[in-house]
Amino acid sequence: MGIHEFERRLTVALEAVLAAGLLGVLLTILVLVTLRYVFQSGLVGANELATVAFVFLSAIGAAVAVGRDEHIRVDLLASRLNARGRMALAVITLSLVGLLNLVVVAYSVPWIATTGHTPMPASQVPRFAAQVSVPLGCGLAVLYCCRRIAATLRQEPRS
Amino acid sequence: MILLLLVSLLVLIATGVPVAYSLGVSVLLYIALSDPHLIFVLPLQLFAGFESYALMSLPLFILMGQVMNSAQITSRLIDFSMLVAGRFRSGLGLVNVLASMLFGGISGSSASDTASIGSVLIPEMEKRGYRKEVAAGITVASSTMGMVIPPSIPMVLYAVVAQQSVGKLFLGGVFPGIMVGLMQMGLVQLLARSGIKRESGRVTLASAAARTFRSLPVILMPVVVVGSVVFGIATATESAALGVLYAALAGFVLTRALKVDAFWGCLRSTALTSAKIMIVIALSQAYIWVLALERVPESIATFVVELGLGATGTLLLVDLIVLAAGTVIDVSPAILLLTPVFAPALQDLGVSPILFGVLLVSGLAVGACTPPVGTCLNVCAAVANLDIGRIFRGAAPFLAANAATLVLATIFPEIALWLPDKLMP
Repeated sequence: MGIHEFERRLTVALEAVLAAGLLGVLLTILVLVTLRYVFQSGLVGANELATVAFVFLSAIGAAVAVGRDEHIRVDLLASRLNARGRMALAVITLSLVGLLNLVVVAYSVPWIATTGHTPMPASQVPRFAAQVSVPLGCGLAVLYCCRRIAATLRQEPRS
Repeated sequence: MILLLLVSLLVLIATGVPVAYSLGVSVLLYIALSDPHLIFVLPLQLFAGFESYALMSLPLFILMGQVMNSAQITSRLIDFSMLVAGRFRSGLGLVNVLASMLFGGISGSSASDTASIGSVLIPEMEKRGYRKEVAAGITVASSTMGMVIPPSIPMVLYAVVAQQSVGKLFLGGVFPGIMVGLMQMGLVQLLARSGIKRESGRVTLASAAARTFRSLPVILMPVVVVGSVVFGIATATESAALGVLYAALAGFVLTRALKVDAFWGCLRSTALTSAKIMIVIALSQAYIWVLALERVPESIATFVVELGLGATGTLLLVDLIVLAAGTVIDVSPAILLLTPVFAPALQDLGVSPILFGVLLVSGLAVGACTPPVGTCLNVCAAVANLDIGRIFRGAAPFLAANAATLVLATIFPEIALWLPDKLMP
């Protein structure tokens, strides 16, 4: 399996995880509303777990958006440059995005090691279960940045 | 250091670095040059930005709009709008504005309004004698109501950032949104070519009743969603989830246009769209943290108070800044950056945060229709196959209605505040 195919499969898999995760969040909230109004009861920690799922969706989704080059941006300069200039700008931009994500991954480790064992108030799940979403998402973003820098330098057509 | 923070952000954004990462890299640069020990703040702030129960309403409102779009409700809205406005001169222009008002109450997003209504009505209006840029201009300008009329995604974002009630902000947008719509209808009547015929003749009472009944479940949706928040039946997140359920039922049962594959596609695309906004929110938290560390909001508050313009004068100045910012920066990042900078100063002057929220979103909605960044302009350019300069020239006269409403709501705050004060005192 080539790197291009690996990237495609990874993106498809991550998008499926995102869709399933959002469906899970939606169903959890609907179940909680039903329980409250129909059965006058609730599920301890369910809101907290839905929030954890949402954190993962945001972190992984942001990484996929890097891979798909879909982040919100202002395209004032690139359209005025020639092909070489656009290529150089794309490499610089991706390097900055990758560097930021790499720094976050590196400093997430001591942060999680220090605070991750604290349990969440309702579900009593240790906080690292949610915190790990940050290095995971940023790690994936670094991966996508490297892949896109390589693709830009090789002038591969965008899929 | 402040200068470095601001200049680096502007340079990074202008060179095409995604807005979210421009914020993050600026913070990284600031930390590296001022106090490297603060670097631990980055993962912490990123996580804190993601971890919000209230913000979970954001993807659910986006999903609600997308599911309604896939359920092909646009035809029902246009049919109902035709019933109400089609018999007047330049009726199709009026139908476009009215459909946007109704659609705004369902999707909460201006871009989806432009795409859905524009793809149906622009070719139809062209056939009936409207110049293409006028048809596209009306579509783009009227889509701004999607952000102001509840439920509105930017209002939810402002509510979370400014820690205000979502229900009050939804209610605050009702009258300004309706005012924009009515003024735009007046402008359509004034500006559309006199030769344009009425689009529909007389309709029988039975046919009108049947068409209204057919559209009713769709038109009632914003009432259900907004009503559940305003009357305390559900939180904003729960009401958004109920809205998705309603939209899915409408699509699977009522219109039968929604298929499982399309619903799955909506989930996937919503998760990506919301993640793009969430990363901006998360990294703007880090940027705002640094601004607070450097006491920027306090300095701006002191400067604004010392200007001595009074509450209304200052708000008018802020309106101008918001309009200018809206032309170069997208709605979500603009809300995230402008709110913490101006809200404390305005609160010191006694301005209601609800009023500021309504004015901020209304002003930024205009920015979505102006070059170079206008999201709605770009969507419309794709739908109408027209360059954005021509679309903007067509939209400009109708955007006067937005500007007038902005000024009126600034001078007469009751326009935005009367309804929330009455229903949610």
